[in-house]
Amino acid sequence: MFTSIDALTQGLQGVGYFADRRLATAVFLALRLQRPLLLEGEPGVGKTELAKALALSLPRDLLRLQCYDGLEQREALYEWNYAAQLLHMRAAEVLHAGADTAQVEREVYQDRYLIRRPLLQALQAPAPGAVLLIDEVDRADEPFEAFLLEYLGEYQVSIPEIGTVRAVATPVTILTSNRTRELNDAVKRRCLYHWLDYPDRERELDIVRAQVPGASEALARQVAGFVGKLRSQPFANAFQRAPGIAESVEWARALVALDTLVVDPEVVADTAGILFKQREDVAALTRDLATDLLKPEATAA
Amino acid sequence: MQLGDSRTGKLADNITGFGRALRRAGVRTDSARIALAQQAAQLVGVSSKDDLGAAMEAVMVSREQDRMVFRELFDAFFRDPEVAHKLLAQMLPRAEGRAEPSRRRPRVSEALSPQKAFARMQPKPQDQQVDFDAAMTASDLQRLKHADFNGLSGSEFRLVERLARDIALPVPSVPSRRLLPGIRGARMHWPGVMRHAAGTGGELVRLQRLQRHREPLPLLVLVDVSGSMERYARLLLAFLHAATRGGHGRVGRRDVFAFGTQLTDLTPAFRQADTDAMLAAASLAITDFAGGTRLGESLATLRQQHARRLVGRRTLVLAITDGLDTGEPEQLVHELDWLRRRCRRLLWLNPLLRFEGYAPTARGAAVLHRHAHGMLAVHNISKLEELAAGLAALMAS
Repeated sequence: MFTSIDALTQGLQGVGYFADRRLATAVFLALRLQRPLLLEGEPGVGKTELAKALALSLPRDLLRLQCYDGLEQREALYEWNYAAQLLHMRAAEVLHAGADTAQVEREVYQDRYLIRRPLLQALQAPAPGAVLLIDEVDRADEPFEAFLLEYLGEYQVSIPEIGTVRAVATPVTILTSNRTRELNDAVKRRCLYHWLDYPDRERELDIVRAQVPGASEALARQVAGFVGKLRSQPFANAFQRAPGIAESVEWARALVALDTLVVDPEVVADTAGILFKQREDVAALTRDLATDLLKPEATAA
Repeated sequence: MQLGDSRTGKLADNITGFGRALRRAGVRTDSARIALAQQAAQLVGVSSKDDLGAAMEAVMVSREQDRMVFRELFDAFFRDPEVAHKLLAQMLPRAEGRAEPSRRRPRVSEALSPQKAFARMQPKPQDQQVDFDAAMTASDLQRLKHADFNGLSGSEFRLVERLARDIALPVPSVPSRRLLPGIRGARMHWPGVMRHAAGTGGELVRLQRLQRHREPLPLLVLVDVSGSMERYARLLLAFLHAATRGGHGRVGRRDVFAFGTQLTDLTPAFRQADTDAMLAAASLAITDFAGGTRLGESLATLRQQHARRLVGRRTLVLAITDGLDTGEPEQLVHELDWLRRRCRRLLWLNPLLRFEGYAPTARGAAVLHRHAHGMLAVHNISKLEELAAGLAALMAS
């Protein structure tokens, strides 16, 4: 466990995640106060990556629960292996007819017929505990949020056949949301909250440097500067969705693969499909706009 | 640094006071959170104001839109809590010429000023009045006109309620991802099967299945509140609110926007259970009532800020407008193109259709006519039955 915010920042950096001070503070508090951390932000700002990096640096096992519309308790928490239970009952009937019914019942609901899903796995993970990532929780529907409350608040779940399962070691819990809808206040009350913004230029540069070692310093600077400008006003208005960190890293890789030394409007137009995934956005990144975006960069470099 | 020392308890007092100020500024902060904030402050320490701010923010803020309010208030409060109040209170009434206080959000200023009044045990409503005015003059907004949606009269209320009850607005449904026990379906409902088997000595007599149930499509309503639509907007909003409230069955997602010269999100207002409360909230929210129509610009705002309200091409979009648009037609074409591609159905409810021989020839109307999947008259509010029936037909097509 990290003893200070600086140690946490260092630890995350050690596994290739560059967190700014605010984010590191929020994560540090989540660890120390043992609260779940709700991360919101645009797609591609590194919400999911944070959970992965945290699991690596702690180090703890990462359990991931990908949410989707229609996600249910049996996929999130536990399910009985009904077929096996049925076989067991039949076998018990044949082998020792007239056996104690309580005995049969105990056998049917024994541990090995329980299929553990991520939430239960997280609770039962032995010390030091696991990192549970509940990814894109806004995609699940509202009943599912209500189901999460007991876990988020008390780190326990109630299973009728077994009783209440409490956490062996408090799992580090990270929830992410793309804000396709506002989450319930009850969920938010139980979590710490952090809004992840796009990284500033220096941090993005660090990320590109670390992820694309093949890129020259000048190229990495140009990539970080260009993408940073795409996201800032007034340019961002021209696009439906600004490129995320993943896109800028991917773009840097592509430029390295193309043996690009200096980004020019020509190259930008050719590789726009990596930065933008929608036809209108690709079309909006015209040569003129690219020239505009690159201009002050070129004088600075 | 006026943060105080945690050992003397001054910090604790300040955090509690800050929490209360935050609540007055409209940030939802309960006492459990304030207690947690105290713990967080102990952990992070008070040596760095930035760290303390980040820590407080992680604990006390839970919505993206509250962050800026928090930061402004935090800066003002922890610069010097007591002096800040006094200074702020003194400066506010003649704040027009000054850059600093006018940059502060009215919500933040209002949250700070009652504290002063409270300390003197003499609330002065005029003070707040003045400070609100200062905030208004500082902005370059033109004179705003709030919608005057009266509460419904008795007969209107009964009409709307009756219609909403009798005519379930036929929002089409699609098979959902969620499985529920039923009699048909490919997958076994094992827990149910086992429960039954337990009653019949382990014999599988009744096989329950899991089947997909149907879910209403998400609905996005765009209501024109410009001058020409003044007469229709109110009752239509009331009807839509009552009809999509979903007394029976599952409630689908419902997003509502009003537009005139700008886009107003009415979704929070629509969350009110009571129709009158909804109308009151909508009146407060709408600031461009009975003005012009700039549909293209409003749609651009929708695209830039609320694109995610359109859920995975499933959304049913109802545009309630007369199509008398004063904006740029090119922009409207572009935005409608975008909207049409991202929704399942774009339906245009047009009150002008009542005129015999009406043809959508006005620029905006022609564009809308080309892009909408269907068009429907909504002029005769008292015959909303026809609206519901027509909607059903349009949605089925």
